[in-house]
Amino acid sequence: MAHERVLVVGGGLAGLAATMRLAELGIDVDLVSLVPVKRSHSVCAQGGINSVNALTRQQGDSEWKHFDDTVYGGDFLQHQPPVKEMADWGPKIIDLMDRLGVPFNRTSEGFRDQRRFGGTLYKRTAFAGATTGQQLLYALDEQVRRWEVEGKVRKWEFWDFLAPVLDETGRCRGAVCQDLVTMEFRSFPAGAVVLATGGNGLIYGRSTMSMVCTGSAVSRAYQAGAWYGNGEFIQVHPTAIPGADKLRLMSESARGEGGRVWVPRKPQDPRDPRSIPESERSYFLEERYPKYGNLVPRDIATREIFDICTTEGLSVEQDRLCVYLDLTHIPRETLDRKLGGILEIYEKFQGVDPRVTPMKIFPAVHYSMGGLWVDYERSATGGLVEGSFRNQQTSIPGLYAIGECDYQYHGANRLGANSLLSCIFSGLFVAPTLANACGSGSRAAGDESRLFDQEVRRQEERHRSLLARTAGVENPYGLHQELGTLMTRVATVVRRNDQLVPAYDEVCRMAERWTRCAVSDTGNWTNQNVVFTKALGDMFPIAKLILKGALLRDECRGAHFKPAFAMPGLKATDPVGRRQEAEQWCDTFEANTRRWLKSTIATCGPGGDPEISYQDVDTSLIPPRPRLYGLVGADAIEEVWKERSARATDHAGRAAQPAGAGA
Amino acid sequence: MMIRATDDAHAMTDAAGAQRGELVRVRILRQDVPSGESYWERFEVPYERNMNVISILQKIAAQARSQDGRKVAPVAWDCNCLEEVCGSCTMLINGRTRMACSALVDRLLAEDGDEIELRPMSKFPVVRDLVVDRRRLFRGLEKVEAWVPVEGSYDLGPGPRISPDEQEDAYPLSTCMSCGCCLEACPQYTKVEVVRREGESEKDFEARRKAAYDAAFVGAHAVSQAMLFNAHPTGRMIADERMKALTRQGGIQMCGNAQNCVAVCPKGIPLTRSIARAGRAATVWAIKRLFDR
Amino acid sequence: MSGESPSFLERHQFLIYRLFSLAGFVPVGAFLIVHLLTNASILAGDGGRTFQSRVDMIHSLGPLLVPVEWAFIFLPMIFHAVVGFVIIANGLPNVGSYPYVSNLRYTLQRATGMIAFAFIIWHIWQLHALGKPFGGGRFDAHEAASSTAAVLGSTAVSILYCIGILSAVFHFANGLWTLGITWGLWTSPAAMRRANVVSIAVGVVLAAAGLGAVAGFRSLPADSASHGHAASAVHETLPPSSP
Ligand SMILES: Cc1cc2nc3c(=O)[nH]c(=O)nc-3n(C[C@H](O)[C@H](O)[C@H](O)COP(=O)(O)OP(=O)(O)OC[C@H]3O[C@@H](n4cnc5c(N)ncnc54)[C@H](O)[C@@H]3O)c2cc1C
Ligand code: SF4
Ligand code: SF4
Ligand code: FES
Repeated sequence: MAHERVLVVGGGLAGLAATMRLAELGIDVDLVSLVPVKRSHSVCAQGGINSVNALTRQQGDSEWKHFDDTVYGGDFLQHQPPVKEMADWGPKIIDLMDRLGVPFNRTSEGFRDQRRFGGTLYKRTAFAGATTGQQLLYALDEQVRRWEVEGKVRKWEFWDFLAPVLDETGRCRGAVCQDLVTMEFRSFPAGAVVLATGGNGLIYGRSTMSMVCTGSAVSRAYQAGAWYGNGEFIQVHPTAIPGADKLRLMSESARGEGGRVWVPRKPQDPRDPRSIPESERSYFLEERYPKYGNLVPRDIATREIFDICTTEGLSVEQDRLCVYLDLTHIPRETLDRKLGGILEIYEKFQGVDPRVTPMKIFPAVHYSMGGLWVDYERSATGGLVEGSFRNQQTSIPGLYAIGECDYQYHGANRLGANSLLSCIFSGLFVAPTLANACGSGSRAAGDESRLFDQEVRRQEERHRSLLARTAGVENPYGLHQELGTLMTRVATVVRRNDQLVPAYDEVCRMAERWTRCAVSDTGNWTNQNVVFTKALGDMFPIAKLILKGALLRDECRGAHFKPAFAMPGLKATDPVGRRQEAEQWCDTFEANTRRWLKSTIATCGPGGDPEISYQDVDTSLIPPRPRLYGLVGADAIEEVWKERSARATDHAGRAAQPAGAGA
Repeated sequence: MMIRATDDAHAMTDAAGAQRGELVRVRILRQDVPSGESYWERFEVPYERNMNVISILQKIAAQARSQDGRKVAPVAWDCNCLEEVCGSCTMLINGRTRMACSALVDRLLAEDGDEIELRPMSKFPVVRDLVVDRRRLFRGLEKVEAWVPVEGSYDLGPGPRISPDEQEDAYPLSTCMSCGCCLEACPQYTKVEVVRREGESEKDFEARRKAAYDAAFVGAHAVSQAMLFNAHPTGRMIADERMKALTRQGGIQMCGNAQNCVAVCPKGIPLTRSIARAGRAATVWAIKRLFDR
Repeated sequence: MSGESPSFLERHQFLIYRLFSLAGFVPVGAFLIVHLLTNASILAGDGGRTFQSRVDMIHSLGPLLVPVEWAFIFLPMIFHAVVGFVIIANGLPNVGSYPYVSNLRYTLQRATGMIAFAFIIWHIWQLHALGKPFGGGRFDAHEAASSTAAVLGSTAVSILYCIGILSAVFHFANGLWTLGITWGLWTSPAAMRRANVVSIAVGVVLAAAGLGAVAGFRSLPADSASHGHAASAVHETLPPSSP
């Protein structure tokens, strides 16, 4: 078999970028997706995509600074070479997307316009109206359609990835997928398989993610032996619109343009918010953070809103957690000019005009930093070696992962507008790797069909047994809701060990209950019921590893916040005391870094229970430093830290000298 | 103006009396398999504030019981983003084509009495219940070569400079999510259903299906995309190809100017402008070709 | 629909539809204007003299009249009608579900097209020489006003004429507007609105002319016949205009 195909699972930004490049390299691609690729979750991204550009460069920006902002924002939890490579590719990627016809907003001279996003001082973010993700996805979708017409790409839309197929040596030889219309199973032998299946927000019930973001494909790879990295790092967005079906994102620009967050002082005050006098309102962000007011960073805003509703019981509504985000004091014309697009979203889905009535918002699960563990090969300059077999390869040889479903680029927290970049980057970058992987490794054709037949039979068996469970007592939709509620309660904004321990047991019990789920549709034609039930079953192993990872990580890092292990600011007010406390603070920080600056690696044990281990992080390019934003005594700590790092580089410099002279 | 619409909706909702604890009645036109008979089934789900048609369908899936308490298979339907950007959830709601995710129950009840009616799109073959096969719509994009013909993905610098005016002109067209509302409402767009013949190979069937699609009207959606790319400095380089496609059988000439497309497009895309521009381009192109031959 | 290889008609669909659109404007539409305005000259108040002289002008074509009629009126009209019926057969009007003004117009365009077609056949049978073998053809070029008035003397016929004329006028005026979109004369919504005003104005003028003429013929004074004769007496001195 000289001619091998590549199987790309998932047609979001990452999957389409990989497909396009593969086709261009002359490789035939099978592209499998649950939904028509043009309808993938990537369409939801509104804000924009980051890269250094001509303008920021002249203000002192560089690829290195983008790289630095990304690892700093991610609390140093990501291996640095892939991030450096991504930042280096940024400008090329935006240029490419521009050439593909993405209607980026323009300056009056006709150049691409940029805006500023959180976590940086530079205007790095290129954007296309309020639908950047949609525009980027369409540009890639169009190119892939072009290759489809040429015959290089074959799309399998409305197909579900069920399992990778491994040979005796443990190498991935392809996969088995299922047609969601006819329910037929099919083997996809491939020189390499790449998963680009996005996030897993549905584990939290409702999130800002799309309905196919169940994480099922990743879970299936994990259950087949792939490692999962940094699972406990889940980003929560502070302002989303709570809905019965979904939590829709309300852009941060609402606060940026002067929106005020408040709750009535009287719990669940039934009055019309407009008639509640100022004195009976608590503008809690402004009260607690007089300096930043409503513009505190994402994670702080999230925690405070969460706290006021749960701990203090001041939620606006009785049966639903939410606070007011109020824009009604801003003139209508200003609102329409600056926020028109996003206010329309609120109005469309809530049926209420936010220019007149305060919006109700609450934090929502938004992004999964964790994902399948993937490898990389470091180059001499600290970037990656293009085309290396190892890039983006999971712990299963021949099985790769890209996009939101890998764990590689965002560490403990993702910067806004960096995800679209990492998706396109990893997609483009993995293509030469996959092309090289094709045709490598000898195999016996006879064996192969046996392997696939075996897996198809296993899947058919699973499917049949699910359909046979008509007499079950559990309702899969109800169970999903329970799982979501539990996960949202214990594993989002604030984590506490005394909640995580029982929650883990509870999820184990739910996984057990799942085996008694009844499917109400026993037919074999477009049976969405059984597909969902399957995906639900595959959520438990991931939910478990999230909980266990969170339970074991006794520290605060990025999106993972455990009050019991928070490092408070300085208390002393006199210079000497402050200095002393700052030294102590830095000692603790260093000790914590030694202990916890490690990737969490989960492997799937028997019964779907995770085994957790830790792996050192490559921080060779930028040494870790504390994130001090908003901390009391930040300046004193920073001073101590600077002295220490100066000493450290001094040492390193001296240590390196003899070697340098010798070379 | 917006406020008035909202307040009205609220006022009317109160009149319609849907409140917490009450039930919302839904009537769904179901069909088990593509060639099967369709039939009506009624459901009731508990009312909730800000409910949309998707949440109704979710509840129906969870309860899997019809109004009279019979156990029935859950209704099948398509959705993904729930934000009206992916184009999945098009259906006929109270007789009109729209996106289920942005169809608020309060408004529907205010509009149309006390029962909500859901039907699958009528211009595409039904797969099951509310799920239809919209491959013809994507075929339209292939037909008009809706892409920028770049040489490849190697780094060749930025794209062409584009004025803000051009960007503002192109951007709305570029938000088309291939939902098919414009096609559903178009009186000139009629259903094409190709059924596999006994013993026909997958490949032959595929070819026959595509030929059937190509012979029928491409529809406003593809015409508009063709215009989008004909306006792009690089996309324009194959403008002739697109004009050829638009003037072949099933091309722009099939439009009867009913302008329903523009009225129902959930993205408010100026489709009639695109159609008229395509008409103009076709006029010029056809005349040029007459003399250039 | 999807024959293995497309037929001639399918291969040239664009050309045919465009010619269809054009034919509706010129010569068919243009003829409609001339015809209605000619008829309206009955309103000149001179008992049909102006009308008769217009008719004479047309008939001065002599032996050329028949080929001209066929080339510029009947054949284009038949072509427009045949293609029109194909289009109507392939459309699925849906004003019920989508009661928008432009959709209503789309549906009316088809309805009026069919009404106008039926009316024209009837009208030709009734008045044109072609109707003679079938017991019609009651128009007499020499007695233009009176022979027409005789036909329109019946109220029922007049009502049907009014319906037919209004249908034809709507079909033309609305068609004018859609033609501009089809050919890309007006592309922006604002331009379409402006063109719409013009189309409506054209429609109103033609409708007034058409209905006015019906009224005019009906209210021709009883002695109009003699006026007609007088006119034709003058006429007699000229060579016979048609066989
Ligand atoms: C509301 C919102 C706004 C955002 N805004 C921004 C922003 O402004 N900037 C930014 O950088 N990032 C943003 N993000 C994050 C970003 O959109 C996502 O991380 C990114 O789009 C993920 O792309 P992807 O290619 O990895 O996967 P996706 O686009 O999620 O695609 C996944 C694909 O996998 C397929 N798939 C999944 N499971 C299976 C299976 N079992 N079998 C077969 N196929 C399967 C799906 O069908 C789909 O095609 C936002 C996210 C959200 C939720
Ligand atoms: S304007 Fe044309 S494309 Fe649009 S609905 Fe009417 S006939 Fe269809
Ligand atoms: S043009 Fe509008 S209605 Fe038509 S497919 Fe696109 S978004 Fe949908
Ligand atoms: S679910 Fe995406 S448009 Fe409705």
